[in-house]
Amino acid sequence: MRTKLIGLLTLYLGVSVLLTGCWNSRELNDLAIVSGIGMDKLDDEDGYRVTFQIINPTSSAPSTGASSSQPPVMVISSTDRTIFGALRKASRRMTRQLFFAHTQLMIVGEPLARSGINNLFDIFERSHELRLNTTVLIAKNSDAASVLKLLTALETQPSTGLVKKTQNTSRVWGENRRIGVFEVINGITGEGDFTINGIQIIGSAEEGKKKSSLEQTEAPAGSIMSGLGVFKNGKLISWLNGPESRGTQWLLDKLEETSVNIDSLDRNKDISVNVFYSKTSVKVDLQEGKPVFHIHIREEGSINEAGSFVDLSKEEELEKLKKELAEQTASEVKMALKAAQEKRSDIFNFGNELKRTHPELWKTVKKDWNSVFAEGELDLQVDAYIRGTGMRLKPYFPVEKRE
Amino acid sequence: MRKEVIGPFQLFAMIVLFELGTAVVVPIGLESGHAVWISILLALPGGILLYLVFADLYRQFPDLVISGYTRKILGRWIGWPLSLLYLPVLMYNGSRNLREAGDLLISSTYDRTPIFIINSIMVIAVMYILYKGIEVFSRTAEIYFWLIVIMGLVSNFVVIISGLVHLKNLFPIHPGEWLEALGSAYPSIWIFPYGELVCFTAILPHFSTRNKVKKTGIGAIALSAFLLSFTHAVEMSVLGTDIYSRTTFPMFTTITLVNVANFIQRLDAIVILTLIIGVFFKMSIYCYAAVSIAADLFNVKEPRRLVIPVGVVVLFSSFVSAENYPMHLKDGIAFLKYILPFMCAVIPILLFLVHRFRRRFGLYK
Repeated sequence: MRTKLIGLLTLYLGVSVLLTGCWNSRELNDLAIVSGIGMDKLDDEDGYRVTFQIINPTSSAPSTGASSSQPPVMVISSTDRTIFGALRKASRRMTRQLFFAHTQLMIVGEPLARSGINNLFDIFERSHELRLNTTVLIAKNSDAASVLKLLTALETQPSTGLVKKTQNTSRVWGENRRIGVFEVINGITGEGDFTINGIQIIGSAEEGKKKSSLEQTEAPAGSIMSGLGVFKNGKLISWLNGPESRGTQWLLDKLEETSVNIDSLDRNKDISVNVFYSKTSVKVDLQEGKPVFHIHIREEGSINEAGSFVDLSKEEELEKLKKELAEQTASEVKMALKAAQEKRSDIFNFGNELKRTHPELWKTVKKDWNSVFAEGELDLQVDAYIRGTGMRLKPYFPVEKRE
Repeated sequence: MRKEVIGPFQLFAMIVLFELGTAVVVPIGLESGHAVWISILLALPGGILLYLVFADLYRQFPDLVISGYTRKILGRWIGWPLSLLYLPVLMYNGSRNLREAGDLLISSTYDRTPIFIINSIMVIAVMYILYKGIEVFSRTAEIYFWLIVIMGLVSNFVVIISGLVHLKNLFPIHPGEWLEALGSAYPSIWIFPYGELVCFTAILPHFSTRNKVKKTGIGAIALSAFLLSFTHAVEMSVLGTDIYSRTTFPMFTTITLVNVANFIQRLDAIVILTLIIGVFFKMSIYCYAAVSIAADLFNVKEPRRLVIPVGVVVLFSSFVSAENYPMHLKDGIAFLKYILPFMCAVIPILLFLVHRFRRRFGLYK
């Protein structure tokens, strides 16, 4: 009886040690949580300068009581031929082990982007800590490190701030879309080329590092989402801005919501239409060796502002506005296609679409798709609908008399 | 001692868990590209026919495991050595499942835990449940069947509502791809996972309602085929052919992409649980089959005494058999091509034919 009891007791103790599963444990106070990674090119040698933005837990906690004077994040860099090497080398400067499960952002500096980014993302696939839905941005006209060093107003965590900025502008303005590592890898492995969102520093990057920069109503530095970087063979070749960039989202069927200014009777671009639904269907086929892109866009919007008199209770007025909206959309789409065809760079997935639907035709043009794409013709049809006019039909001001 | 019996639903649950086992988490039928889900369905009729062969043999010899009727049908001198071949194959295949689970767990979550620790904890659980007997095991299967179904529903639901599914990755299927799909369905998907049901020849003798054996089995195989096909179609539609073909753990990669309203994310635990539960049942059934065939061949009265030796062999061969995961996969391809078809399909069909032949011409004494 007694021996049995002792036996059971040892068993329980043994099991309780085993079942805690502490073999793999890493305590929170031994970890440095990395929120953003920046990749830059080294000037004179091969390899990368990898910058880590690390969350400073004491100052990012919403503390009551005395607020810490430390900034919410710290930034360190280290250089190596591989990202993993760099992050392990960073241990020479870090008191804690870097932890990547909460990394939300990866920024690539423009010089590195210009020399090629195809090999950067392997660690995101291989590692179990890094996620494939990490947002990717290209630092336009600067290196990635300077963007990571900027502090942001409203959001305590700069990386979260940049991710939210991408999402926000994608959702309401439509020149950018959410592009993560997953989309970039699909772009690299798929046929044709791809685009990545750009971010640009405005103001003084030096000032933006300081916490004091946030103690002003107008921060001396900030960042702005600026267009799409076009990547051909993994190298950044140009930037698409404004309407070209929005036209690209339209062609990719990634437009969520946007605002289009259209012409009224007597003034240019003074009626604002909020496009809240847009659906693009794409068909690609070859006619006499030339690709034809059959694009059908169906969009719905509502009139949110009229800058001059327009009588929205009349059907023919609305018809005109619908036509204007469709034309405006078509012109942006054409601009985007023209810009891409000039660069001979298929960023619209047309190659993938042709391969998917007509694999036998694809084989005939696969070799020189870039030049075939540049010859391609557009068969565009835009159906625009105006679904609402807000809380008024006619504006409060009368028709302006024409001189 | 009372004979242990299992009911129809318990058998149903065991077959589904066994079929899903590892097949639901690892990529299967890679040759067929984005038509893998079609391949799984195309292999289903073959799988059902094979199961009917097992079921028919069971109805002819309701109390014997496969090694028992092999000796009856082919005679002692051919039957005994032939059945002996099942032991290393079953144990090796069990150890392969263990290895896959261990490696996937290490590369996805437990990066610093030695494979020996992970595998031995799993083997201890398997040995414990087999020591408790097939009845306890089948009741456990009954419970976990629902758990797997619920987890499967939840994870498919979140993947779909987070808008990750792109049907473009699945369609269209061109005529040539149907042929490729058929080519990967037979023999490779036909054998893995359907052919592996040969293990159930060791479990069927405990089945309680003899006349329901066909109905239950076919239902379970069809259900698991649809679940497998659906899951792989979802994975393929989320990841695309390229990433799907390169990932070692497509289900895990798929679930890490889930983000519903910035709130529901990182559901990796569900996938890890699916993996552990699936492998636990698959490996237990392999070990059980090995134990009962060994007991039958060597006239061991108390099969339980063989549980520990079999478990230890499975544990050690799981990490001794291959130096690393790529080598393990390479071995697996050869094993699936040359050895498994022989054990899973050729021998049972041969037994079935010889038995018919001998009965027809009255060659049994």
